[in-house]
Amino acid sequence: MAKLDPTVRKETEYIAVWVIALSLLMEAVFLLIGKWTPAVLWGNLAGAAAAVGNYLLLGITVAKAASGPADKVALRVRSSMTARMLGTAAVCALAIGLFHTDVYATVIPLLFPRVGIAFRPLVDRKRGKTEAPSEGSDLLD
Amino acid sequence: MVELAMGIMLGLCGVGAGIALIAGIGPGIGEGQAVAAACEAIGRQPEAKSDVTSTMIMGCAIAETTGLYGLIIGILLIFVAPGIFSGVLKDTVLALK
Repeated sequence: MAKLDPTVRKETEYIAVWVIALSLLMEAVFLLIGKWTPAVLWGNLAGAAAAVGNYLLLGITVAKAASGPADKVALRVRSSMTARMLGTAAVCALAIGLFHTDVYATVIPLLFPRVGIAFRPLVDRKRGKTEAPSEGSDLLD
Repeated sequence: MVELAMGIMLGLCGVGAGIALIAGIGPGIGEGQAVAAACEAIGRQPEAKSDVTSTMIMGCAIAETTGLYGLIIGILLIFVAPGIFSGVLKDTVLALK
């Protein structure tokens, strides 16, 4: 098995943390409104796995395209997106149709990576603030 | 008559789901162009590969969300809408009787 690009691993981990945190929040909301059933949990698991898997495959495709030859890159990314979208649809349709998971709990986690990305500048700014003093202290020493 | 109305409704839900998935075409084209441009940027500045790749993954994920919206609408139209609409149809028929 080929080694995963460190950038892809880092980005996927960041997204996975957000997906897990928001999934827990969603489960709590379902519990609070009294609509929680095991189908919600299984749907959440299927949706979260599809979301993180889709993001991981996107990262692998982009990293491969970036390190590979420049010709046919656009075509490769386009075909990868089609395949990933079909895969995500298949996972959701299988989970809902075959395993009777909750529809909303299955599709909502697909949008969690977008929430993580929306908060990315905030997280980066915070990281920059915590790292800056240590760099400055090095200079002072 | 009710069966015909139900059939038309289910068919339209399927057509709607198909139309919603057209939203997946645009992000695919956009992502392809963005990655091709990023490849050129990496070719010019190989030392910035990590930064460019990171930004590119984030950008592609944002572009892909549009396609995912369409996918979600399609899934809801296939799995949720028929149940809701058939309930409304049954209620209407009962009210007319």
